[in-house]
Formats: sequence, structure tokens, C-alpha cells
Amino acid sequence: MAIHKKKYIDANVYEKALERIESLYSKFDDVVVSFSGGKDSTAMLLCTIEVAAKLNRLPVTAVFYDEEAVHPTTIEYVQRVSEMPEVNLHWYCLPVKHRNACSNEQPFWHPWHPEEKEKWVREMPAQAITEHPRFQFGMTMQDFGREHYRYTNKVVVQGIRTEESMRRYQVVARKKEENYISKPDKGIYFAFPIYDWSSKDVWKLVQIKNADYNRTYDIFNKTELYEHFLSQRVCPPYGEEPVRGLWVYAECFPEMWHKMIYRVPGAATAGRYGNTELYSQGYKPEHVSWRDHVQNVINTYQGADKADVVSAINQAINLHKKKTDDRIPEDDAHPLTGLSWRFLSKMVTRGDFKGRVMQTLSTHSNNQLRKMGITLEQAEKIYGKGKAL
Amino acid sequence: MNKDQPINGVEWVQRDSLKPNNYNPNRVAPPELKLLKISILEDGWTQPIVINPDNEIVDGFHRWTISADPQIAQLTGGLVPVVTTRPKDSAQQKMATIRHNRARGTHGVLDMSKIVQSMIDDGLSQQEIMARLQMESEEVIRLALRAGIPKTDIIQDSGFSQAWEV
Repeated sequence: MAIHKKKYIDANVYEKALERIESLYSKFDDVVVSFSGGKDSTAMLLCTIEVAAKLNRLPVTAVFYDEEAVHPTTIEYVQRVSEMPEVNLHWYCLPVKHRNACSNEQPFWHPWHPEEKEKWVREMPAQAITEHPRFQFGMTMQDFGREHYRYTNKVVVQGIRTEESMRRYQVVARKKEENYISKPDKGIYFAFPIYDWSSKDVWKLVQIKNADYNRTYDIFNKTELYEHFLSQRVCPPYGEEPVRGLWVYAECFPEMWHKMIYRVPGAATAGRYGNTELYSQGYKPEHVSWRDHVQNVINTYQGADKADVVSAINQAINLHKKKTDDRIPEDDAHPLTGLSWRFLSKMVTRGDFKGRVMQTLSTHSNNQLRKMGITLEQAEKIYGKGKAL
Repeated sequence: MNKDQPINGVEWVQRDSLKPNNYNPNRVAPPELKLLKISILEDGWTQPIVINPDNEIVDGFHRWTISADPQIAQLTGGLVPVVTTRPKDSAQQKMATIRHNRARGTHGVLDMSKIVQSMIDDGLSQQEIMARLQMESEEVIRLALRAGIPKTDIIQDSGFSQAWEV
């Protein structure tokens, strides 16, 4: 698919966002703001309110998916937003399936799980919606996000900005026209009207509107976390990336943290070591081979999760076997397949339930080819199937 | 040698005669509080509570908290050891509190994992390490794995295996 290049236009991001939202209101039955309490969704909501007021479409429909272990200051802010007359906020507390990267013993957890009520880190808010006809236990946030407004002719707007990642840039850069609307599946529409904003633009809007915002940012401001976390999104704490910042909860919200360590297995351990080699992929004990290390890590998983991880590993190994008769190298990527035991170790350590690590195999192969100074065709002759014939 | 040091004057006083200060920034999570209890039960009182002349706690708030526990109180008939420091003003006292809390290191991952390995070599079970160091199983397993011990070798329950009949 073509990826189009950035071209600056003669308008500022604020005017442009209002224009995009207005066009959404004309195309769809309703505009639903996906609200996380983070600063980007604040900007998104403020713009939508402004447009809805102009079009006489107030109150703005917004949804908040409450993930239980949320900064108390974020919850206070969402509460204030829910009381705004301009907003009709649907506050969902659903047991969505989330990753628990703290522990291989239990790689997933469900906020607001009805059977784990005694472990909840907060009380459920009074206005919480706890079920939805399209939600089924076992769904991830991505699953439910896609089902929630399917076949409704409503568009869900998200405060996603391309500044944040290349992957997000690719989503908007695929189309020239209406590049801020995406249609990942049949009957579903997402829109990203502030995709071209910088984080400065976001704060600028809060400032000129003298608007309320999430005070978590003030807390981070007071600590040395300023640079590191001001740009961070509001997201569930036990995931792959957030595990590194788990100690922040201990530092800034000790009362909630004391409950969080009992919420999922491994939380206390990850709070202590989330930033160290115990939770990173590149390490193994010196006297153990990568191959043995892979086996050792596999054994820390249990049941169905173990089966999933093993099946992902086997998939990678079969890919390798299809292309070559060579054994899988310990350390360096195989030039044809990109595979090595070291790479597989990365896959098992991360769990790779989303298949993100495996997607990078071809990059490893390309790098290795470049390092060796040969082309893919040459590599196929030297290392490929039937080379001995 | 200058003997005019607070530690020379350790006294045993009723715990209820002490009072907490109102600024202590140190928060101890429940597992560490339990660890503190185990530490006093296993190793005994090794460090006094630091107070000012008004019996306000400068350092050792959590030792003082845990001294209310019946098992701990029983060790010493409800008495706790104290030493008195004489800060010249409230700023110095607050600084003393911070210094007592902060002037300590963190444990290196590799050294911790070596220590856990040596305990496993000495025949301690995973359960025993978990209980006596208040670690979750995740922590023991990750540390042992880092030292190269496969999980299957760590999980040796200390009890006998189950009997069977035909």
C-alpha cells in the first residue's frame, strides 16, 4: 500500500481539526469521542464540543473505558467531565482482557472481573455500565472497540497523534483524501481529527480555552518524571511497555499501589525490577545457551498460555525449516530467515501474544544479508533448500 | 574514641510513650511491613527507633508501627529500644529523617539472583524463600532463572510427595 508524504498546508491544526469534525457530523449519524482522560483526548473532546455547539448538536457523546487500575487523579478528572452539561459520557467498567506482562504465570488480567471483587483496587463508580450486548468475556480492548459501534453509522473519534509513533503515521498516510478516517473492518469507522497535532498544540488548546485537564500531569510535573511521562498515554499499567513505569504508581500513588501489588501476580516483582534485565529480552545467564534459555522461559508459562507461546515459536521454526536445512543459529540471525535462538528467546520473553516480535524477522534477515554483503538470491543459493544437490 | 554518640544511650521505653511525626514521606508497602515483622521475629531488635527529646519519631516509624503487633510486643514486654538525637531546629530534624531513609543502596539484580541461587543450592525450598523474604513466586523464579536455574529445579515443595495405592 502506498504511503504518502507529509505536505504542509495553509491552516493551523486547530482550525483544521474543527473542519474535520464538522465534516464528520455531516457524514455520520453521530460522533462518539473515545475518551481516556489523557491530554490528547481532552483536546479531542474540547474541539468536538466546540463544533457540536456551533451545529446545535450538544451534548457530545463520549465513551470512557475504565480499566480499574487508573491514576486516582485521572478518575477525578473523568468524573468532572461526566458532570459537564456539554458531555454525555458513557462510563464502561467491563472485564476486558488485558495483558499482564508482570508474570508469565498469568499473562492476562481482567479489570472489574466480577469474581475478583475483593482484589479491585478501586470501588466501581456509581454510574458504571457493566455490560454491553456486544461485549463477551475474553474480548480484548481492540476486539470490543471494533464491535462496539459496528453497523451503526456512528464514527468513533480518537485523540491519536502521528507524532507518537510510526505505526500511527502509516494509518493516516495511506490515503490522500479524508486520511483522518479509517475503516479497519466492514461497518466500522474511526477518525483521528487531531492526527497532525504536536503535544504542544494540545496544551496550547487547554491554555487558550482555560479548560480543566487531568491533574496527573501536575503530579508528574512535580517529580523528575516530567520529561519522561508528560508525553505518556493513559494506559493499563501491567502491559508490556507500561511495566517499565510501574514504579511510578508506587512513587506517586502509594495507597493505590499497595492494592495494585495484590491485583495481579508479579506486580510487586515488576515494580521492583520492571526496568532491569529481569524484564527485558536481551539477557540470559552466561553459562546457558540461548536454546536452553528458550526452553527455560517456556516452562514459566502454564496451560493454554504455554500452548500459545509454543505454537508461536513452532510457527517461526517451521518458517525457517521451509526455507533452509541449516540448523537455527545461536546468536546471529540466519541470512535467509532472520531466525536465531536469541531471537526466539526474545519472542518467549515477551510472550509475543500480538505477533509483533515475529513481524520483525524479515528485518533481521535483511540486516544480516547487508552485513554479509550478499543479495537474497545469492543467499538462497548458498543457504537455501537443496543447496547440496 | 568519642563516646558522645546517640547509640551509646539506647534506652527501653513503652511504645505508647512515643509519637509519630507529621511529615514522614516514607511509605512502606504491606509486603515490606510484613518483612519487617519477620525480620524482628527472626533477627530480634537490631536497630533502635530514633526520637527527638520530645519523644517524636525521627526515624523508625514502621518499626514503631509493627511493635504494636502482639508477637513483637511479647518479645520485649511492650518495650521498644530508642536513641535520642538532638536536632537544633525542625529543618534539621526533617533532614535527619530523610537521610535515615535515603542513605541506603538498592540491590543489584545479578547479586540478588546469585544469593537466591546459593539459597536454593543450600536446599531451601521456593516456598521458604518466599515466606521468609516476603517475595512473590514471580520474583524467586525470575531471580533464579537469571542465575540459570530452570523453573523445574526451583519448584521443590518441602513436603513429602503424595502416597499412592493400587
